[in-house]
Amino acid sequence: MGHVRRPWPAAHALGRGRPLSAPAPALAGALIRLVQERIGPDLRDLWTDEDTVEFTIDGARAVDVLTTLRDDPDLDFFMLADAAAVDYGVDAHFEVVYHLYSAKHPAAWLRVRARVDRAKPVLPSITSLWEGAMFHEREMYDMMGIVFEGNRDLRRIYMSPDYRSFPQRRDFVLPDDAADSPAHGVNPLERPETWDLTRFNTAPAITFPPSEDRADAPAEGVEGGETAADKSRPR
Amino acid sequence: MTKIDPEIRIPDPIELDRLEEERLRTAAGLLPVHAEGGEYAGFDTVGIPDRPPQTEREREVYTLEEGEMLVNMGPQHPSTHGVMRLVVKVRGEIVVDVDPVLGYLHRGIEKLCENATYTTVLTYVDPMDYLSTMHNEHAPAIAFEKLYGIKAPPRAEYIRALVVELNRVFSHGLMMGFLALDIGGLTPILYSFINRDEVVDMLSAISGQRMLFNFFRVGGVNFDTNDEFLSRLGTWRSHVLDNLDMNERMITQNEIFRGRTVNMGRLSGADAISLGVTGPNLRASGVAFDVRKAHPYSIYHELEFDVITQEGGDSYARYIQRIAEIKQSIHLIDQIIDRMPHGPVQAQVPGIIRPKPGRAYGAVESPRGLYSVYAISDGGPNPYRFRMRDPSFISLQAIPKLMPGRLVADTMAVMASFDPVMGGVDK
Repeated sequence: MGHVRRPWPAAHALGRGRPLSAPAPALAGALIRLVQERIGPDLRDLWTDEDTVEFTIDGARAVDVLTTLRDDPDLDFFMLADAAAVDYGVDAHFEVVYHLYSAKHPAAWLRVRARVDRAKPVLPSITSLWEGAMFHEREMYDMMGIVFEGNRDLRRIYMSPDYRSFPQRRDFVLPDDAADSPAHGVNPLERPETWDLTRFNTAPAITFPPSEDRADAPAEGVEGGETAADKSRPR
Repeated sequence: MTKIDPEIRIPDPIELDRLEEERLRTAAGLLPVHAEGGEYAGFDTVGIPDRPPQTEREREVYTLEEGEMLVNMGPQHPSTHGVMRLVVKVRGEIVVDVDPVLGYLHRGIEKLCENATYTTVLTYVDPMDYLSTMHNEHAPAIAFEKLYGIKAPPRAEYIRALVVELNRVFSHGLMMGFLALDIGGLTPILYSFINRDEVVDMLSAISGQRMLFNFFRVGGVNFDTNDEFLSRLGTWRSHVLDNLDMNERMITQNEIFRGRTVNMGRLSGADAISLGVTGPNLRASGVAFDVRKAHPYSIYHELEFDVITQEGGDSYARYIQRIAEIKQSIHLIDQIIDRMPHGPVQAQVPGIIRPKPGRAYGAVESPRGLYSVYAISDGGPNPYRFRMRDPSFISLQAIPKLMPGRLVADTMAVMASFDPVMGGVDK
């Protein structure tokens, strides 16, 4: 194509560490003061970078805090840009992260990090505030196993209804994880003789709520992902 | 004209067939087909899950009243724009409820990205929303550059904006064709593909790939512009407005098209915000939210443009909005080419980067709306958490809201006006 690449400039010459976009600092400052004033005691670990203002709250208070952020005329965060779950490891906690946008504070995305206990991952649903949070919450339930109280359609969304794991948790091992396999760096999917499938048969079912409370719970003595009513499901 | 006596019940031909079949089977000494042990046992509840409902909403959708039945649209159906299934509850030809069933194309891209290096992530996001590949790469590039604390050179930012707007043009152009196709007109999609191929060839000249461009890098873009790209761009620019005008005249004034889009699937601005609908679909409902203006990224704060909105909020408004945005994108492309500076297109960045622990959010305006990436670094070579918000996934929630009370055939037309791409929906 006759393309000649120019010599690369050093990263520092391109302003390493310089903010990507330059927001008006006064605006972000005003937002920080407002948030501190309106949210008050719920707010922890306030932090800001070039275009984000973020703080941490307790998961149980999520609906109250987000209602204030949405309905307060000075804040007016009318748009839920994103809601996602983060797993900080087996011995740590979950976090549900909400990104909000307000036309009154266009210089910054507002990031609300709601902490959730890993042993009891329950959070109030925000579908009463934004209907569109429904798919976000269904995805978080499906992938992370976080339960949203008050959500009237908390089903799996990507995986099949009888699937029993939560694939985006940190302790979910990928089947083709080369480092974990006896194939030592060769893709084990290409070498079926090395497949160790016992862990799929012996893995305990991870369900929340506990499996005995669920109508589709695996029957006693049934193995390999079958549920009690698992005939040829027409779904 | 003879009057039909309401007392006389005209037998349904399907029912007559069934009765005839039962009669023949009984004569042959066979079990009735729907009996316990018959060969169609259980088939009279096709579509109803063979397990108790898990949620209130599922119970509502899958409980049938007298005269209602469930119809599956998809997963393999040309009008579902990919592999998606809509369970439609109908009463006659009227839609009572819709339940989208997703996941047929789920590849777990977020999990894959968490096991890939930052550079590789930019290739993994390509096949997500395969009609807006450049946008898919733009958002992670922004987020990773924030994490790593670098900035792309000015020329790279201009090239990014250029390819991203070209991508928007062909994506919106295809939507015009697909909408007409789902309504029953075959010709516009062929013209849309002619126009789209011109842009795709242009982008393949600059990136080396035809559909999954893999063009963005952390700290810049892969290649500078070249002669082939620029000559193709010039040729395309000389006739793109004529081509657009031709396609538009073929569709917009068509009476059938108007009859099936005007007043169809009317979404109010407040509902759209509540449902998380973004992009052209939101602006067609009268809400002036465009990430390029609301929170400018790349070089959009230097370009002159206004946020276009429509008042209608129906399928027709969403279509008109796309055409207006194509023209706006061409206007932006003109500005970008006029102002493009000289200089390098890539910062000096190693192949494997290890950003300091931190969090970054990058959002772009993709042809389908707000596409954003939330990346967390723990100091290692791959992102600790990589989250993508795909606009068509969230916009799909409008379908069950809009369709009840409408005809089954209009489900496709309204869905096409939202322009979802299942690669992005299922991730």
